[in-house]
Formats: sequence, structure tokens, C-alpha cells
Amino acid sequence: MMPGIGDARIRLPDRIAKGDIITVNSIVSHPMDTGFFRTREGDPIPAYFVNEVVITYGGDEVARFEWTSGISRDPVVSFTLRADREAPLAMTWKDNKGGVYSQSADIAFTTA
Amino acid sequence: MTPDTELPRRSFLQTLALASAGLVGSAALSRSGRLLGLMRPGGPDDPEIPNEEVARIYRERFGGRPITRAHVQLDMPAVAEDGRVVPVIIESDLPMTAEHYVKGIHLIVDHNPDAHLAGFYLTPAVGQVSISTRIKMKRSTWVRAILETNTGELWADYAKVLVTLNGCG
Repeated sequence: MMPGIGDARIRLPDRIAKGDIITVNSIVSHPMDTGFFRTREGDPIPAYFVNEVVITYGGDEVARFEWTSGISRDPVVSFTLRADREAPLAMTWKDNKGGVYSQSADIAFTTA
Repeated sequence: MTPDTELPRRSFLQTLALASAGLVGSAALSRSGRLLGLMRPGGPDDPEIPNEEVARIYRERFGGRPITRAHVQLDMPAVAEDGRVVPVIIESDLPMTAEHYVKGIHLIVDHNPDAHLAGFYLTPAVGQVSISTRIKMKRSTWVRAILETNTGELWADYAKVLVTLNGCG
């Protein structure tokens, strides 16, 4: 099945110990149209892109990204997080047409 | 008048002469400025010399504060065959503690339509500076990763990327 606009995934490491600095990988489906292209019929394709990403951990904002249409189609972004407590990591992508897309993943410590 | 005071006076007169030349023709001055740029080591390809748009971004975002090339690693391919998808990795050895941390990363692509391509605003909770993504590039140009700390210091790294297929339209 083809993913729809705003479908998103977050990937965390399989094993997380308290205090680890983990890498979080994410992807969201979005055309990221620049507004500079035209269709084959010559009609301009309006700019349509994710312009803000907000990342929270246990409800606290830990990072915020400000994007332009210069980010590639179906944006991937990886960043780090200090896993100091078990709590959900949530990401929200917002686009220039008012679209809001969210995804979350639970940070849970692996029992030894 | 002693020679000691004569020197500053002379340089003041030189400044005045330059300023009036600017009044007469700012176009002529900027042309000669560009010629001067050509004579510098590295010439206009030197990433420390920003183009007009990048200079505007520097003024707006950093208020003309000095930017030092250190503490940042910007990893990009030397040649990007497809300008629509160019990988970027930004890393830094700067601390991420409550007292000292990187509060923002600015990704600038000199010759893109939107030169300030992205801003990544961080808190100490991320633990370290390590961001990767994929960007579009219109043509071969310098890419700049500029990090701003919570105390206002600016650190950077630059990468020249050759683009064979325009990714911006």
C-alpha cells in the first residue's frame, strides 16, 4: 500500500539502557513541493511542504526544526536523545497548508 | 604634531576618502570589492566570503558576530549526482549540558532559492549534536552548517558540493 501524506514512522534502537544517548530515526510522507515546478500541462505546482517539526519527550519539548521546501521529498531526519526516563517520544510535523501529522514511540528500558 | 598622532589622522582621512567614493558610486565600490575578493587566497570560492544572500542571513540571524570554523563536522558527498536527494550529517563535539549547549544549527546552501534551508533548535535533552537529513540542491555550491551556543558563540563547518542534476526546478 502506498503511504498517504503525513504517514510517519519513528525508529528507536532495539535495546535502550537508562542514560544512553540514543539515535532516533524518523520519516514522514510528504511531497515537499517547492512551488518552482509545473505539471506536464504547464500548470504551476504550488508550494506544499513541512515547515515545522516539534519533538517532545514525556511532554517536554526537546527540539524544534524549522524547514523550507529544500528538505527532500518524504523527509527523513535523525537526531539524538538522552534516554533518562521511560516516557513517550512524540513528533509532530506541520505543513504550510495547515496539515498536522503526529507519531510517537515509547522509550522503555531493556531489562538485563 | 608627533608622528604617533599623525598615523591615526592619516587613516581617518583615508576612511573619509573611501566613504566619499562610496557616496559617488556604490556600484563602482562593490565592483572593486569583488575584484579585491578575487585577489584574496581562495578567491570568491573561499567559503569565508559569503554572497549577498548569505551575508543578509548572517546579519539577520547572527547580527554580524564572528563565525569560527571549528567544533563542527559537516559531512556531505563531494559530488551529488541527484540534487533532489543529497545526504547531510552535522555533528559537533560541543557540550550539551544545562550550562553550555548548542541551541541552534543553521543549514545554509549558498545558491539555493531558499538559502537558509533549515534551522534545528536543540535543548540539552538531546545529549549531543548529531543531526542527519536529506536536502535539495539547485547547483554546485558551498553548504554551511553554523552552530549557535546558548552563550551566543558561533561555530561552523563548510562543504563544497558538486551537483550534476538540479534538484530545485
